[in-house]
Amino acid sequence: MAAVAAVAALWAALQPDLAVILIGWVPYLAQGFAMNILISVAAIAIGSLIGLILGVMELAPARWIRAPAITYVHIFRNAPHLVLIFATTYAMPFEITLLGGTVAFPDWLKAVVGLAIPASAHIAEIVRGAIQSIPTAQWESAGSLGFSRLRTLRWIILPQCLRRTLPAWMNLYASIAMGSALASLVGVGELLHAATDASTAVRRTDFTIAVYLTVLVSFFAYCYPISRLTQRLERRFAV
Amino acid sequence: MADPLLLDLVKTAKSYGINVGFLTSPHERDIWLEGFRTTLTLVATMIPVSLAAGMALAAALTARQRWLALPARVFVELTRNTPTLVQLSCAFLGLNMLISQSLGGAGQNPFGAFFWVVLVVGLHGAAYHAEALRAGIEAVPDTTLEAARALGFNRLEILRWVELPLALRIALPTIVNNLVTLVKLTTVGSAVAVGEITYASIMIWTQRDNVVELMVVILVFFSAINLVVSQIGLWLERRLAVPGLGVRS
Repeated sequence: MAAVAAVAALWAALQPDLAVILIGWVPYLAQGFAMNILISVAAIAIGSLIGLILGVMELAPARWIRAPAITYVHIFRNAPHLVLIFATTYAMPFEITLLGGTVAFPDWLKAVVGLAIPASAHIAEIVRGAIQSIPTAQWESAGSLGFSRLRTLRWIILPQCLRRTLPAWMNLYASIAMGSALASLVGVGELLHAATDASTAVRRTDFTIAVYLTVLVSFFAYCYPISRLTQRLERRFAV
Repeated sequence: MADPLLLDLVKTAKSYGINVGFLTSPHERDIWLEGFRTTLTLVATMIPVSLAAGMALAAALTARQRWLALPARVFVELTRNTPTLVQLSCAFLGLNMLISQSLGGAGQNPFGAFFWVVLVVGLHGAAYHAEALRAGIEAVPDTTLEAARALGFNRLEILRWVELPLALRIALPTIVNNLVTLVKLTTVGSAVAVGEITYASIMIWTQRDNVVELMVVILVFFSAINLVVSQIGLWLERRLAVPGLGVRS
């Protein structure tokens, strides 16, 4: 990180005029990056909730509960994120009529849905794997203590899964955070889109390169700590 | 003139509420079919590129020379922690423009959008392959390496004849997973107007308003490619399985 800062400082000293223009664009770029964070946090939150339900459904004893969840997970784990973002953007309405009033349904929210769908499919698999890694004896002992199936799941099994799924969940979070850049292709004003705006407005080769490198460094600064933390957790939880 | 059978098919589909009217327009049909071809070409070129670069990167990552290992590590971390689309923008809008300028105009530049997509996405896959192979190389038992050294193998020969063959077998399931991700990543080509299936479908559905129909086709298409990729992976795993290791299925 220090090396990057040193290179940036050196470059700014050599090219003061370019640095001034770039600094002028920082607020606009920062606004874009806030959008990336918003999209990724919302997508992972929705995806986690739906994924948790789907993961539990995948292990249900009844076939009619299991089959739809397995099909959903299979389809959307194989689907490219970009295709889902395009599909939600073009196929969903721009406003929804709810209880008589109309609520706007902006493009960034559609991008959230487009990323939440594959996120939920991946989380379902993570949850399923974690539940299956808990010894069966725990289910039996909980049963003998009078816990119902759902209560066993809620109070005994899932709390233990939380720790096991954390590294995989964080990996997915980083992947969704990087996926949020795809929203630029459907016109959402996030960081990459802001950089394109800036580069078309300034029209200088060196600025274009500088601004895209800024985008690259910003994403790196967001995702690299997550990946380091994941590696540390993986080592700590390793048996 | 369109095939009467095709017209019939389009009409039947319409009566079920499925809009595939674009099939009767030769122009749109050609764009669409070209989209399938382009996606398959992308996949077919990217997989070998990513595997070759991945092996080279893995060799560099595990090298004892710091000047080889450090840049490889930086490259892998940078690639794994930034969006492919941003990498593609840097390469296509930044690097490609610099090359064009130094060669005197875009007309002189031998590299097109297709080249950059293959390079960027291929190297993205390579970074993931390299990590899998590195883990595999590190999993090769020390005694095996000692035995190879005792037989007079030098460092590079050990890598080529002992470490890589074993690492490849250990890393194969992860590599196949990476290839499935790689296949899905070919869609970013649409961002730089490479006419692969997503790009072709967008061109059609903005005219025809048949997003759902075309999306189902895209999803089925990618599922089919990935099914083939993972089946080949499974076949290779069985073929290359070391006798006496693992569980027999």
